[in-house]
Amino acid sequence: MEVEYDPVTGRHTTGHEWNGIKELDTPIPAIVKWCYGLTILFSIIWWILYPSWPYVSDFMRGIAGYSSRHVVTTQLQDATAQRAVFDSDLLKGSLVTLAADPDARKKYEASAKILYRDNCAACHGRDLRGQNGFPNLTDPHWLWSGDVEDIATTLRVGINSGHDDERSAEMPAFGRDDVIEKADIDAVIAYVLFISGQNHDATLRTKGEAVFAENCASCHGEKGVGGLGAGAPSLVDQAWIYGKSRAMIHQAIWQGRKGVMPGWTGRLTETEIRKLALYVTWQNDAGNK
Amino acid sequence: MNLSLENIVGFFGTLLVAFAGVVFVTSGDSNGIVTHGWMMLLVAGFGVKFLLESIQDGEPEAVLEYDDRIVRLGILFCFAWGIVGFFVGDWLAWQLAYPALNGDMPWTNFGRLRPVHTTAVIFGFGGNALIATSFYVVQRTCRARLVGHTLPWLVFGGYNLFVLLAATGYPLGITQSREYAEPEWYADLLLTLVWVGYFVTFMRTLARRAEPHIYVANWYYLSFIVVIAMLHIVNNLAIPLSWSGDKSYALFAGVQDAMTQWWYGHNAVGFFLTTGFLGMLYYFLPKAINRPIYSYRMSIVSFWGITFLYLWAGSHHLHYTALPDWVQMLGMTMSIILLVPSWASVFNGILTLNGAWDKVRTDPAVRFMMVAILFYGLSTFEGSFMAIRPVNALSHYTDWTVGHVHAGALGWIAFITFGAMYKLVPWVWNREGIYSLRLEAWHFWLALSGALIYVGAMWNSGITQSLMWQTYDGDGNFLYSFMDTVDAMHGYYVARAIGGLLYFIGACIGAYNIYMTVSGPAMQTASVDPAPLAVPGE
Repeated sequence: MEVEYDPVTGRHTTGHEWNGIKELDTPIPAIVKWCYGLTILFSIIWWILYPSWPYVSDFMRGIAGYSSRHVVTTQLQDATAQRAVFDSDLLKGSLVTLAADPDARKKYEASAKILYRDNCAACHGRDLRGQNGFPNLTDPHWLWSGDVEDIATTLRVGINSGHDDERSAEMPAFGRDDVIEKADIDAVIAYVLFISGQNHDATLRTKGEAVFAENCASCHGEKGVGGLGAGAPSLVDQAWIYGKSRAMIHQAIWQGRKGVMPGWTGRLTETEIRKLALYVTWQNDAGNK
Repeated sequence: MNLSLENIVGFFGTLLVAFAGVVFVTSGDSNGIVTHGWMMLLVAGFGVKFLLESIQDGEPEAVLEYDDRIVRLGILFCFAWGIVGFFVGDWLAWQLAYPALNGDMPWTNFGRLRPVHTTAVIFGFGGNALIATSFYVVQRTCRARLVGHTLPWLVFGGYNLFVLLAATGYPLGITQSREYAEPEWYADLLLTLVWVGYFVTFMRTLARRAEPHIYVANWYYLSFIVVIAMLHIVNNLAIPLSWSGDKSYALFAGVQDAMTQWWYGHNAVGFFLTTGFLGMLYYFLPKAINRPIYSYRMSIVSFWGITFLYLWAGSHHLHYTALPDWVQMLGMTMSIILLVPSWASVFNGILTLNGAWDKVRTDPAVRFMMVAILFYGLSTFEGSFMAIRPVNALSHYTDWTVGHVHAGALGWIAFITFGAMYKLVPWVWNREGIYSLRLEAWHFWLALSGALIYVGAMWNSGITQSLMWQTYDGDGNFLYSFMDTVDAMHGYYVARAIGGLLYFIGACIGAYNIYMTVSGPAMQTASVDPAPLAVPGE
């Protein structure tokens, strides 16, 4: 317990010592006091200006009249109004006219792309070319029609989405539910491989054609050419959502398919849905012709 | 026979854990909780065996010697958990750059592994470092032997059982989904028991002291223990769905729940990761450089400033949310004032180095500590800055937050720990010095470059993504989709993962260096303590 002089700092120790550790009796530097003072002063001014200390059932509202709820409401209103002005052309005229209008495309394509990327690209890909289980939107093959108004409808109600007016389509589980016998499944697979131009067992194919006509043609069209616009794909083109291998065809027949696209009414505005329908049309190879 | 109160209470606590283990093993609702039941049974079984032996051994003799057994074990556990935590962290960093590295398995996806990383580094690495150093420091600065023959061991074992339950539960999906408080109800109850034991041990050792005053490091350690107890209990108030299941529901809901969580979350940073490690700084820095603390008064003013102000600041995590404006504004102003005591600690540390700056050059451990103080200054400035609402509008939800946390975690907490450990290991194992100063310096430079790359990458990516999120054209349309902002992050994420890898390699070198020191030869004569132990254990 001895106060010592420290030549390095010119200070004295406090006289305490713990395990060889001593402390200098340096006063608190003025800058620390000033900084405490200034930050506390700033805080007091802030408390007077803005909402701060609570009472029992209310709080100090602050003389600046600030409320973040008010600010965000106003900003949202302003942004909505600004966007409505910009998007107003989208609600004028039919989508068919707009799709063919180069000025509309020039004006809306950039913002439509952002909208597409934020809402659709997770499944359909940022290049719109789809991925396993999700259809390509750039080719001429459509499950439900590539007409711009029909695309807008699909966007609104979705597919197997649970929306009241959903587009509904389902491939039954022909194998699992014993609708088609096992031998007939092998035959019909041979036939599907044949019409899609793939290697197949020619002896089975003839039998498969009859099975196909009886069980499959009502949705996939005679000889599988599709085009019924009811959610069943053509089987003769090269657009396969789940793959065209024998194994994948067998899987489809055995366990069925029921792809889902959400309905976007309520999540996107009507303006945004129209913008997306136009964007898909503009990006579609067939639409570009 | 030694049926002391300590042994009886410890025995009941351990039996309680064992009993819970039996319940989980026999009637657990899920594989996860059955596995946890076995772990609890196994560890508590060791505890019971240890206690029975201690009771049979009878009354221990009064020893005039410091008790460093748990300190040594804690150092080893600290490094073991650290290596696990750094490895998982860097794996996650690579996952963010290349998502396929999650192996497409539920157990290894980002959401489940991320708490394994945070728990292993905060509670495994940080917690064991704090327990080890606090037991060392409180004995030396009180000149009293650690109080308790069995309780400190139960605290140490129980604490590491808690960390084990936590880290193994997440991959199996056992989580409360409360950030940094993920462990479920039974692990939380275990930690509550452990923490009472820790508090009692620390307080009784303080009470036994031969020094007239309590050294400031102990004030910091004590605030860590007391406030963490309060935070842990309040934030984890929850109702289990059943006594044999791993699911519980929080007592609070909505914005009250969010506020409770961030009151906890911010003060876990304040009192686990700040005051505890400031305690470490206040002992190991002056000891390492043999200089007096620059200002006793500044250490006191900082202590009370930090202790008072941190508790208000949690609401700055919820700026621009449903949290009422007045809570946000109070949190913001208190966060600004908080910068003053934080920086007072920084200056107190840096100015303590006056007269010993040559040691920064010659002793890598001191270099670790010096840089730790600088990173502490950087991240506390950043923290107060980011708590200002308009700044927060830019930084919130971005990688800047991640960079800020890692400036504190990598640069401050781990650096001060490494610095302290390189000093402490030779002391408690009675070695001449560390095995290799060269490797120690390698560790320093790898860790420093890793931390700088990490933090720099996250500043860039955070500000980039935030600006991209809020860029509109003149008509009010977004210029970038969210996907575009993710694309823009890729390069930074690769850089971050490389920084993390350097840090991890550094820590492995550190662990090797510690291992070689421990397994090397002891000194022939014990070092001379400037103020030897005065109060023996009873």
